[in-house]
Amino acid sequence: MDWSEPQDFKDWLSRLFSLRTILVALVIYSLALAELRFDWVEQLLGAYLARTNSQRPQSGAIWEKGKETLTARKTLEQIVTDRESSQRLAREAETLSQISEALASTQGVMVSAAHFRDLYLELPAAVAMDIASPFELLRLQSSGRWERTYFRKFGRSIKIFLLDMENRVLKELELPPELLDRLQQQEDFSEGVLEDFPRLENRIYRADRFFEALANQPEEIRRSILPAPERLLALSRPITRVGVSDEALTGFVDIGLEFESEGKSMVMVLQARDWAVWRLRLDLEAREILPSVEAEIPAGGTP
Amino acid sequence: MSFGFGLLRKLRLLFYLSILSAGVAALAGIGFFFFALEDLPKIPHPLSRIIETPPTEIFAADGQRVMVLGGREAVPLSRVSHHFINAMIATEDHRFWDHHGVDKLRTLKALWITLMEPGKIQGASTVTQQLAKNLFFSFERSWIRKFKEMLVAVQIESSYSKEEILEAYVNQIAFGVGAYGIEQAARIFFGVPAADLTLPEAALLAGLPKSPTRYNPYRHFERARQRQRIVLTRMVDVGYISPEEARAAAQQELVLQPLRSSARSGSYFLDLVIDSLEEQYGAQVVYHGGLKVFTTLDPQLQAWAVASVQEGLEALDRELGVFEAELDRRPQGALAAVETRSGAVKAIVGGRDYAETEYNRAVYSLRLPGSGFKPFVYYAAFESENVNPATVAVDRPVRIPVAGAPDWEPQNFSRRNRGPMILKRAFTRSVNTIAAQIVDQTGPEAVIQAAQKCGIQSPLQPVYSLALGTSGVSPLEMASAFSTFATGGIRHEPFWIQRVEDPYGHVLQERIVAGRKSLNPEIAYQVVDMMQAVIDDGTGAVIRRLGFRLPAAGKTGTTNDYRDAWFTGFTPTLSCSVWVGFDREAGLRDRNGRGITGGRGAAPIWANFMKRAFEGEPAREFPVPDDIHFTTVDPITGLPAGPSDPGAEKVALRPGQVPDGGLLGAPGLLPPAVDVREEEQ
Repeated sequence: MDWSEPQDFKDWLSRLFSLRTILVALVIYSLALAELRFDWVEQLLGAYLARTNSQRPQSGAIWEKGKETLTARKTLEQIVTDRESSQRLAREAETLSQISEALASTQGVMVSAAHFRDLYLELPAAVAMDIASPFELLRLQSSGRWERTYFRKFGRSIKIFLLDMENRVLKELELPPELLDRLQQQEDFSEGVLEDFPRLENRIYRADRFFEALANQPEEIRRSILPAPERLLALSRPITRVGVSDEALTGFVDIGLEFESEGKSMVMVLQARDWAVWRLRLDLEAREILPSVEAEIPAGGTP
Repeated sequence: MSFGFGLLRKLRLLFYLSILSAGVAALAGIGFFFFALEDLPKIPHPLSRIIETPPTEIFAADGQRVMVLGGREAVPLSRVSHHFINAMIATEDHRFWDHHGVDKLRTLKALWITLMEPGKIQGASTVTQQLAKNLFFSFERSWIRKFKEMLVAVQIESSYSKEEILEAYVNQIAFGVGAYGIEQAARIFFGVPAADLTLPEAALLAGLPKSPTRYNPYRHFERARQRQRIVLTRMVDVGYISPEEARAAAQQELVLQPLRSSARSGSYFLDLVIDSLEEQYGAQVVYHGGLKVFTTLDPQLQAWAVASVQEGLEALDRELGVFEAELDRRPQGALAAVETRSGAVKAIVGGRDYAETEYNRAVYSLRLPGSGFKPFVYYAAFESENVNPATVAVDRPVRIPVAGAPDWEPQNFSRRNRGPMILKRAFTRSVNTIAAQIVDQTGPEAVIQAAQKCGIQSPLQPVYSLALGTSGVSPLEMASAFSTFATGGIRHEPFWIQRVEDPYGHVLQERIVAGRKSLNPEIAYQVVDMMQAVIDDGTGAVIRRLGFRLPAAGKTGTTNDYRDAWFTGFTPTLSCSVWVGFDREAGLRDRNGRGITGGRGAAPIWANFMKRAFEGEPAREFPVPDDIHFTTVDPITGLPAGPSDPGAEKVALRPGQVPDGGLLGAPGLLPPAVDVREEEQ
């Protein structure tokens, strides 16, 4: 390539119209024309940017908005998950205690009226009576308005709202802490022997004597002591000993039933009406029930 | 010859310099490209994701959607009128279908003008560039921002079809007056879906995005029409329509939909809902979560409430001699209406015009209720003292010693005393000295307790003047508290959100409507009976004069210097409280200097609202508890009287209560009756 300055006009012309110059001009012209006509620079850039898109940051107004939407969705999902989890536990609950456990302090759970009736029917009569009169529930049921039941924690108590279709409260029930404790103890199976329960160790009776004395009581007393005897029948091994507490709390006395399960001693604590228990104790003592059977019956053993 | 050679030499130098500059520019361009690439935003895929944010929808009690927060009403391109698409392309980017994100010729021209004509800036953004700017960039004007915008536009063109780009664009452009996207704009401006826009309508809308405020047709209709003509001319130039079609479209009359600010009569109510939602879920969830919020708002009652307050305040303006232009001198008003059997808030008016002031006086403004507080005073007395509506009290000058403060010497509105009268009459005539004697006997704590049992939650001062309403309360509190009397003592917390769901219909919260027995039903009824007399024959008699005939009970309230005028009343199903007054420290006085009382300023608004709300409704009496018995007594002596005796007053009594002329406080000789003119006429 000759980079020297042309010396005359002829030289100028020959260089200007040389093949090389014309080719270069044609190439430049074609490139420019092609760009104007086919946008190849933009196409190339666009293709490159599209290929590297995934490596670039999610910045800018739309992504910020998207992030907010995402966070909002996550927050909502959390709320819904918590709520649904409580709801599921409540729907699957077979006892009121299980519902009480499913309740979070900040939100309540809703079950159908029918489910609440089932839970109510599962309760020992004494406890059920303390929660609501069956006659009142019967009245509400027959009114045809009771559709749903809402449980909510208030401090240490639980309130139960029996609702109509429009969520209006037809009846408000309360489970105070004492009643909740009784509910929980209702199904309190613990590994151990009666002597492990200080309130039960003073009066321990052999099971056959206890049930013999119980069988001699009128039905009302029997039901006030063991409201759901069929549940005891469901135990796989027989009950061996029964402990009765000397203390009454809000009209109820604890009764401990000791039995064997899979080679271990278990104790189940129930609540019985105090007046019924006093009557039974009179009978037990009149039958010369051992003041202390510990010497006679080994702990956890069968007499 | 040497001149020609010299020129050629210079041209040669220039040529090489140009090549060098081009090379340097190309290198700089590449450098600039990689520099810009560093924080170039990622583009979402698919592009429709930009309109995916679900809106939070707020529904009234009748299921009507009353508000949408966030989100966009996106429509596919097939559901947008072709007139609009053509008008928009002709105006914004007529080479849209040909370019690849950047209109080079237009850009070069704009660059030339910007560089060569100082002070003049020519825009050359294509639709794709505008989309890129709206989606990713701020409105800061800089070369680097512009370059990045071009790069993003180029990438968008490489990744999406023209139709996808256009669809994204038309669904996110701002048309002003809160309209985003063509569907929303078509509905707001012309009340039609985007698919049904005619050529003149489409041309008008296509002209707005350039400057939604400047061309706002609600404010500058002629300017918007001029812009529409420019759009039509552009459409002719581009070949989308013929000149005849453009002429016909330009001449066609355009009818704009009334702006929805008037339809948003529930703005104060909706603010309340949004505040509650934000408090519970946070702003992010409210504006980006796509909630479905079912409220207790009754749109019809709300519209009537707004109309009643506006009409009432306009009438008041005339009485006060205030003109529309004198914004600061015009009184304000507020109204709250609550369903008695549930506590559901049905209507809220927080001021005379939401556009003027968004401050919600119905909920947040604590104003002195004056005599409007007396129902709580009388309830407290009937509950804690051995008195009843037939007990006699003496309207006389009263001086009550206050520990550590000057004696309290309340006076009647008329500055006159009227001697003995039964408590029912003292209540209906709103006699202050007797209310003062009652609170002297019960103590202010008993009154506070009664008010709180009814639902007053604002702090109340335990002072004797509490009997005359000297602690601030809101209209919503008053409406809610009075509804406790209407339900025979069952208290319902006021609420405005019935249920909240997430976008998929999962319930997040729902309202349990629980009433709590707060008042003795018999005593509550005795107070209701007296409050009925206020409307039938007392300080609220204007209600009957204005034509509201259904059984109702209520109480007027006026404070010192006429700063606040109240009327709170209820039927068995709806409780409503109305307040009027100034935001500033000033009293309501008419042109003649006469003060505006609750009966004159607030009761007419209440009456108009209730007349509309109960039009065609049957009369429902307040249920009378079984133990209540009625007897007729002499209103001065409190002794039994025949029903036909002149002035004899019927009173509601509880078991064991007899009209024996018993005197409030210590019994003694009754002074002669004097001056029995009514208070608060």
